[in-house]
Amino acid sequence: MDRQDSAEKPVIIIGAGPAGLSAAYELARLKQQPIVLEKSDKVGGLARTECYNNYYFDMGGHRFFTKDKRVERLWRGVLGGDFVRRPRLSRIYYKQKFFNYPLKATNAFIGLGPWESLRIMTSYLRWRLFPYREEESFEQWVTNRFGKRLFDIFFKSYTEKVWGISCSELKAEWAAQRIKDLSLKTVLLSMFVKPKTTIKSLIDEFDYPRRGPGMMWNAVKEEIEHTGGVVRTNATVVAIHKNGSGIKNVVVSSNGHSEVIEGSHFISSMPVTEFIKKLQPPAPQPVLRAAEKLRYRDFLTVSLIVDRPALFPDNWIYVHDPEVKVGRIQNFKNWSPDMVPDSSKTSLGLEYFCTEGDELWKMEDADLIELGKRELAKIGLATPSEVVDGCVFRVPKAYPIYDSEYRDYLAVIKTFLGNLENCQTIGRNGLHRYNNQDHSMLTGMLAVRNITLGERNDLWSVNGEQEFHEEIHENIDLEPALETVKDVFAQAFPKLDRLALGLSTGTMAAVVLFIATIALVLKGGPVVGPNLQLLSQYLPGYSVTWHGSVLGLAYGFATGFIAGWSFAFLRNIAVFLSLAVMQQRAERVLLKKLLEYI
Amino acid sequence: MAEDSTSLERLVLTRLLRLNAIVHGVVTGVVVGLTIFIATNWLILKGGDVVGPHLALLGQFFIGYEVSFTGSLLGFGYGFGTGFVIGYGVAKIYNSLAEIRESKSRSQ
Repeated sequence: MDRQDSAEKPVIIIGAGPAGLSAAYELARLKQQPIVLEKSDKVGGLARTECYNNYYFDMGGHRFFTKDKRVERLWRGVLGGDFVRRPRLSRIYYKQKFFNYPLKATNAFIGLGPWESLRIMTSYLRWRLFPYREEESFEQWVTNRFGKRLFDIFFKSYTEKVWGISCSELKAEWAAQRIKDLSLKTVLLSMFVKPKTTIKSLIDEFDYPRRGPGMMWNAVKEEIEHTGGVVRTNATVVAIHKNGSGIKNVVVSSNGHSEVIEGSHFISSMPVTEFIKKLQPPAPQPVLRAAEKLRYRDFLTVSLIVDRPALFPDNWIYVHDPEVKVGRIQNFKNWSPDMVPDSSKTSLGLEYFCTEGDELWKMEDADLIELGKRELAKIGLATPSEVVDGCVFRVPKAYPIYDSEYRDYLAVIKTFLGNLENCQTIGRNGLHRYNNQDHSMLTGMLAVRNITLGERNDLWSVNGEQEFHEEIHENIDLEPALETVKDVFAQAFPKLDRLALGLSTGTMAAVVLFIATIALVLKGGPVVGPNLQLLSQYLPGYSVTWHGSVLGLAYGFATGFIAGWSFAFLRNIAVFLSLAVMQQRAERVLLKKLLEYI
Repeated sequence: MAEDSTSLERLVLTRLLRLNAIVHGVVTGVVVGLTIFIATNWLILKGGDVVGPHLALLGQFFIGYEVSFTGSLLGFGYGFGTGFVIGYGVAKIYNSLAEIRESKSRSQ
């Protein structure tokens, strides 16, 4: 391809997931014609919808709710009335029983029975009284807050299924990052901002495209193409050529042919590790090493069609039971009736968390379907004979792993990428960040603003954890509230200096007693200050005399000092205790919903 | 976000509270003033042969004060003035000391 002026070259977008397509959509709206390169045969990325015999399968289950108006506008603008609003129900399956999610104490205790409940309470008390001194692992972190027994039942097996690591190996930092840091803010927001309760919470219901999220992304693709943009599927970027401090072109392999495509700007949502490895000339060794170290967790969905009109009311079920390998079961008919072409049947997605290349990942599809049937029967949801058909979909690099070292490695990569002038990485895997769909979209939109408006939006700081706040404080414009809270916090919660308050109160008390004594002495009379003199009952040696006034000065100072110091001491303890109690309360609320963020 | 909340926590542990001297003075003044006002009127309502002989001793410091309704108003004024000076003084001295101690700990 001949060298063109930068202005004439298109923006190249690698990856047609929510982030990449949102970026392309924004460019298309600005009358630009981007080129989107997608290596798979369909768009949607991690939020794609697979189709098998006219049954639609959402890879992971994607609720459509967001606080961001730009994202909301895109969704509504593209799909209009093709959304259905669905009630939300998701429960936990453990030892042949279903438990409410978010966790509710009474429901859990009823389900577990009095003996198990007693063991849980005993364990809770034991760990509250004698916690682990150091919280190094996720296991220790949750145990200190919930007790060992509850941890074993509601956290251990599911977390280990999702991440494939023992909870004792999973760093506490991971939980702290997702929960602990947020709890203090949640506390403060709870104290100062009252959520509106009139609008029905998004926790109870959510919007969903009639035929899954893929419907949205196919529609976005059509809109981009309608305005002259190009979305190429089955187009794998095999090399990315650097030119000085920027990217010059990408080499694309499609249907056995290679092609060089030049662009003015490059936006990539491909896994950042792959992006680094494809650079030519190669990235420096430390950057390549850092890219090697970032890890992902994958999953596969065993999709089963069951010959029954209804199986269970949940949208999905968390399967904690260690007796089965399945981690989560999606009931797509409950997401949208249009996901199933035959109303006499139900389609399920049994999600198995695994790592690319491991035993589960490599299992034959037929074996996986048999495994799914067996486990479905074991859970008691359907018999194998009721399963009339099935297929398997594999989703590589579904979750970036936040291990103990990822921050350091990501920092190296981030610094390197920051020096590439015409290139931005976006999306969950482009940023190696546990973003939700809406936040991934936002990174794509902001990347376009950086190009077209010259803004300097930091895509790495688009917050994947904002949803936590949204669910707790939905309907609140969070940032102004947080700023207010920070101001109030800065004024009200710092500690009183005990010594300073003691000295100041002591000084003033000394002055007052001194002046009162001197005033009476100067006033004179047959009996000078008989009533003030009574202070000598508490202050030995004190008298309403010149000498007594000096002693009064000392006594006043000492008494005032003790009073001021004690007041500051008690006030600090009271503030600390109340903050600690509120923080723990907030942590418990957040922990109840932890599964969604595991 | 994580850094923000860490800084909030740091705020609790390391920053020292500052007192608003005017507010502190007014609040202490109102409390002292109201105490004298209520105490005076309480004794008036209670009545008796000699009304409030001990409280009347405040007249030794607050010129013109007596245990009567007019005295209670004057007492409120005196109490407020005295309380304000004490509260304001405590806050001012406290803030100066806190400033010194905080800047000293920052420089270490």
